[in-house]
Amino acid sequence: MSGVRAVRISIESACEKQVQEVGLDGTETYLQPLSMSQNLARLAQRIDFSQGSGSEEEEAAGPDGDAQDWAGAAAEQDDEEALVKFQPSLWPWDSVRNNLRSALTEMCVLYDVLSIVRDKKFMTLDPVSQDALPPKQSPQTLQLISKKKSLAGAAQILLKGAERLTKSVAENQENKLQRDFNSELLRLRQHWKLRKVGDKILGDLSYRSAGSLFPHHGTFEVIKNTDIDLDKKIPEDYCPLDVQIPSDLEGSAYIKVSIQKQAPDIGDLGTVNLFKRPLPKSKPGSPHWQTKLEAAQNVLLCKEIFAQLSREAVQIKSQIPHIVVKNQIISQPFPNLQLSISLCHSSNDKKSQKSATEKPGPEDHLYVLEHSLHLLIREFHKQTLSSIVMPHPASAPFGHKRMRLSGPQAFDKNEINSIQSTEGLLEKIIKQAKHIFLRSRTAATIDSLASRIEDPQIQAHWSNINDVYESSVKVLITSQGYEQICKSIQLQLNVGVEQVRVVHRDGRVITLSHQEQELQDFLLSQMSQHQVHAVQQLAKVMGWQVLSFSNHVGLGPIESIGNASAITVASPSGDYAISVRNGPESGSKIMVQFPRNQCKDLPKSDVLQDSKWSHLRGPFKEVQWSKMEGRNFVYKMELLMSALSPCLL
Amino acid sequence: MGVTCVSQMPVAEGKSVQQTVELLTRKLEMLGAEKQGTFCVDCETYHTAASTLGSQGQAGKLMYVMHNSEYPLSCFALFENGPCLIADTNFDVLMVKLKGFFQSAKASKIETRGPRYQYCDFLVKVGTVTMGPSARGISVEVEYGPCVVASDCWSLLLEFLQSFLGSHTPGAPPVFGNRHDAVYGPADTMIQYMELFNKIRKQQQVPVAGIR
Repeated sequence: MSGVRAVRISIESACEKQVQEVGLDGTETYLQPLSMSQNLARLAQRIDFSQGSGSEEEEAAGPDGDAQDWAGAAAEQDDEEALVKFQPSLWPWDSVRNNLRSALTEMCVLYDVLSIVRDKKFMTLDPVSQDALPPKQSPQTLQLISKKKSLAGAAQILLKGAERLTKSVAENQENKLQRDFNSELLRLRQHWKLRKVGDKILGDLSYRSAGSLFPHHGTFEVIKNTDIDLDKKIPEDYCPLDVQIPSDLEGSAYIKVSIQKQAPDIGDLGTVNLFKRPLPKSKPGSPHWQTKLEAAQNVLLCKEIFAQLSREAVQIKSQIPHIVVKNQIISQPFPNLQLSISLCHSSNDKKSQKSATEKPGPEDHLYVLEHSLHLLIREFHKQTLSSIVMPHPASAPFGHKRMRLSGPQAFDKNEINSIQSTEGLLEKIIKQAKHIFLRSRTAATIDSLASRIEDPQIQAHWSNINDVYESSVKVLITSQGYEQICKSIQLQLNVGVEQVRVVHRDGRVITLSHQEQELQDFLLSQMSQHQVHAVQQLAKVMGWQVLSFSNHVGLGPIESIGNASAITVASPSGDYAISVRNGPESGSKIMVQFPRNQCKDLPKSDVLQDSKWSHLRGPFKEVQWSKMEGRNFVYKMELLMSALSPCLL
Repeated sequence: MGVTCVSQMPVAEGKSVQQTVELLTRKLEMLGAEKQGTFCVDCETYHTAASTLGSQGQAGKLMYVMHNSEYPLSCFALFENGPCLIADTNFDVLMVKLKGFFQSAKASKIETRGPRYQYCDFLVKVGTVTMGPSARGISVEVEYGPCVVASDCWSLLLEFLQSFLGSHTPGAPPVFGNRHDAVYGPADTMIQYMELFNKIRKQQQVPVAGIR
């Protein structure tokens, strides 16, 4: 280093003035450099006078960190290196000299290295190996090749994806035949509630979550079907999943409600045959566990219905007690009538299949009432979940919302009774059965009368819209051919639970009991009244004058059903009069009154001297009605009337 | 719930409690009332426990827990001059749990039982008040169903009472006096019964005829 020629270095001061702002035309405004006093003030600010030399090192630093460091460094140096003399007057160019010196060192080293490398004896420069550049080609070919590559890459990705999709589709089709346990379990979970207990999977097929209070647990177990021989061909209906239902819910059940005319012997009770109703057709796509579980749930519901009915049958006090024997409940809604509700549960054993060969008669089983029972129990379930009951305070018992208030509001017995619904399932179904029976008997009565009696005719128009406890029918009594004239007998029958209420067109309301004889008698009496009313209407049309009319005559033989009615009409000219008496039992009696001069067998007397008196009407003669021409009473009457009114021409 | 008047019938001279009750019921039946079962009103007393008393040593308050067969699902709890609580029958179970705060006064259970008569709009209950095995007096309760304001029907009630109690007709109960136009409630009936029971408890035992 000492032999090296000295290098000339030029130094320029770098303290340019700071630019304050650059004007719009490019001129720069410079900040004035600090004057000596300003500079001194700036430096003095940096001194932390609170920092003594070594005595207060732990004091928190002032806002100016530099002064702290400087003072701290100064203190440290004083403390630690007491021997080293602090040179406060380092000349300003010292740092420059140091930097230049290090730069010189670096340059010398570089010069040495380069001179050695140039010789290539001890050091060589080796370039970094690079890929050989492809020969320069025309830009189009290059583009073609690059496009081809990128397309190939995209095609590769798409092909991979397509391959995956085809594989999964093929797998799915395979799965339909060879179903996986887990996927089957997933399908099961979509229909039924399952839970895992230990290592068993249990399910719930009871109606408890729908509001039922039946104490049956209703749990079924899901088991893996492992008895399959993989070597043999897998059967069509193979299912890797099997359900095990509780033993008392096996098979199928239904509630049979039937009405019989006469009461059987006491010894016959409880021997209801368990008809094996054919299993309801399951939907074609549903797996076998679905049908199994649905059948078990139906059995459970039937059991609940029957348990509720038998509980009520025993608890409720009625005039005629209900008999509960084994699986049958017998009650008597009407005298000589017996209603039996039985639970028919047939298991799937081979033994019972052989014995049940009888077919149930169609009239025997009232399907309507069975359906009604199912609806009623479901309604009962809904009531336990309705807003009247839920939500309830934790300390209150389950029941109607107002019953909880009955204590704090001091309800008396009347108010408590009004809240509690008193009718149970059994009472409701008995009422419905009574109504059905009464309705069918009313219809049968009307129909038998209509087929038996041709004149007058009965027409019954049953209403489409009915209640479970009430139906209505409109009965018209008319004569054929004269419907427009003779329509005074129109009855509206309201068939209730225990009685039939008749509303007449003239406003009378009559209540008939359930006895069919009463209705029949009433209709017969109405029919006889109709005939007389028809004569009255006919007289109006024909121009004849009504002389007297009575719905209930007090003369003549007494009728056993209703009363006889009578009418007397006179011809327009006054010559003739027709008198009709019609009774339900005695039939009709028609008499015609002739003028005196037409009767030959009248005794002559001296009282009547004037001949004009012979034009008055005289004695009556009876008409042989059965020999009259005409297809019905009113027609005959019309013919008679027209025969008696002389032709004016 | 109509306006009710509870009063005590003094035992007739020279007759026992049972015989007086018999007299009354016969009068009612002759009047035309029909018997509709029986009724029962009972009352138990509780002291507030000594541990909850303040340092001043004030006397413990008495609480009465009553039941009335007319309101079968309710239980009434009242203090002497204080509020009356109408609660569910679970209140009795609650009292068992509050044994630490309320101690039952022994041998203080008092009850009245007897027939219940209905005469059109009036409900008449004649009961024998018993404390333990001994009969202490007779209670007569008359309720006029249609009216709920005491001041409106007091005169009618008085007239009816006079018809079969005769000279033993009571005056207007103090409960009526408090709030003339307020609606009458079951709590007021129980207050009347409580006052009646207290009066009977303070009375001497009914002297048995023949001992003196």
